[in-house]
Amino acid sequence: MKDNFVNHLRPRFISDRALSVYYTFCLGGLSFLAFLMLGITGILLMFHYQPGTSSGFSSVLTIGSVIPYGSVIRNLHYWSAQLMVVTVNLHMVRVVWTHSYKPPKQLNWLVGVGLLVLVLVLDFTGYLLIGSQESGAAATVAANLLKQIPGLGTALAQIALGEPTALSGSTLIVYVWHCVALPLAAFWLQLYHFWRIRRDGGVRPL
Amino acid sequence: MAGQIECSRRTVLRFAWSGMVAVGALSVKPLVDYLTSKEDQPRTSLVAYEKSLVEKTDWQHVPNSRVWVMRDDQGIAALVATCTHLGCEVTYHPERKQWLCPCHGSIYDTDGRPVEGPAPKALPRAAVERKADGSLIINTEKQVGLDARL
Ligand code: HEM
Ligand code: FES
Repeated sequence: MKDNFVNHLRPRFISDRALSVYYTFCLGGLSFLAFLMLGITGILLMFHYQPGTSSGFSSVLTIGSVIPYGSVIRNLHYWSAQLMVVTVNLHMVRVVWTHSYKPPKQLNWLVGVGLLVLVLVLDFTGYLLIGSQESGAAATVAANLLKQIPGLGTALAQIALGEPTALSGSTLIVYVWHCVALPLAAFWLQLYHFWRIRRDGGVRPL
Repeated sequence: MAGQIECSRRTVLRFAWSGMVAVGALSVKPLVDYLTSKEDQPRTSLVAYEKSLVEKTDWQHVPNSRVWVMRDDQGIAALVATCTHLGCEVTYHPERKQWLCPCHGSIYDTDGRPVEGPAPKALPRAAVERKADGSLIINTEKQVGLDARL
């Protein structure tokens, strides 16, 4: 089992130059590490979080104040998310810097753009789930922006945000996007991203 | 070189593994505490106040609760000090005869009516009952009007 499966995950050889930290600064790796951390702490938060425009905020306050170790878990989740936005952006800057978006890696660049959008939307929906007054303002702005789209706008705002109030953005719909749909999409897209790296010949100076 | 230690790749990896096992072991209790916590489950809505409050007083805080009690000419009243804006705990400042909210600066008069800030409604009043031994029981689930007294 170990010989078959674990060894299968490893490449047969790794070129010396791919091991240079100063080529990638491991920024993609750091983003993935942050993503794993977000998955673990996110599942833990779901055990005590209560979505809903009237319950979201108070359950966040409860997690942060009276639940044992709740504030550690909440802070790990929050700061990993902020860190991930930073490392993903720097990772993209590195890819531009080393011209790694050029063929044969152009498809992985597009996958990366998809991941960037997913990460930003995840960060935004997470902010809405806090359910604070600020989240209500943010959700209202987002809903109004979406509603500007002619024809589809109103339906789109409903599908993306549900019905947030001006005082809270924590709706059941945002909760499902943030905790299920978007992380799953980001997870599978990341696996594809990593598979493509090897497919395209590995990370190495062109 | 003096003090140089032999440190193979294997030693470093073993060290890293032990570190991860140690961190894992140390997280067990915090995780169990966190997952089994019932702190956010609804607790009893009854709050006990040991004193009988026979003299007239300004608002008195009932320890370990958000309830305050007072006695005026009409009788005893109880108030729940939860801001009607976003639920922060408000405190009574006897020198100003006002309730102040630390979160977004709502101010209520001594009766709990909002006078300034985002608070939309008056602070909720709760029903008070007297037990046989003379102490008071406040039922925070049972809301009453501003003029209700015991
Ligand atoms: C969820 C966010 C992302 C994760 C977890 C991630 C992860 C990774 C990892 C681990 C690598 C290997 C090299 C390294 O560590 O730098 C990599 C390479 C790459 N990434 Fe990402 N990435 C993400 C987002 C992006 C974005 C936003 C872009 C650009 C739009 C992008 C484009 C690329 C490209 C083109 C490569 C190949 C680089 C090369 O071969 O030199 N990725 N990614
Ligand atoms: S919660 Fe009291 S002013 Fe906002």
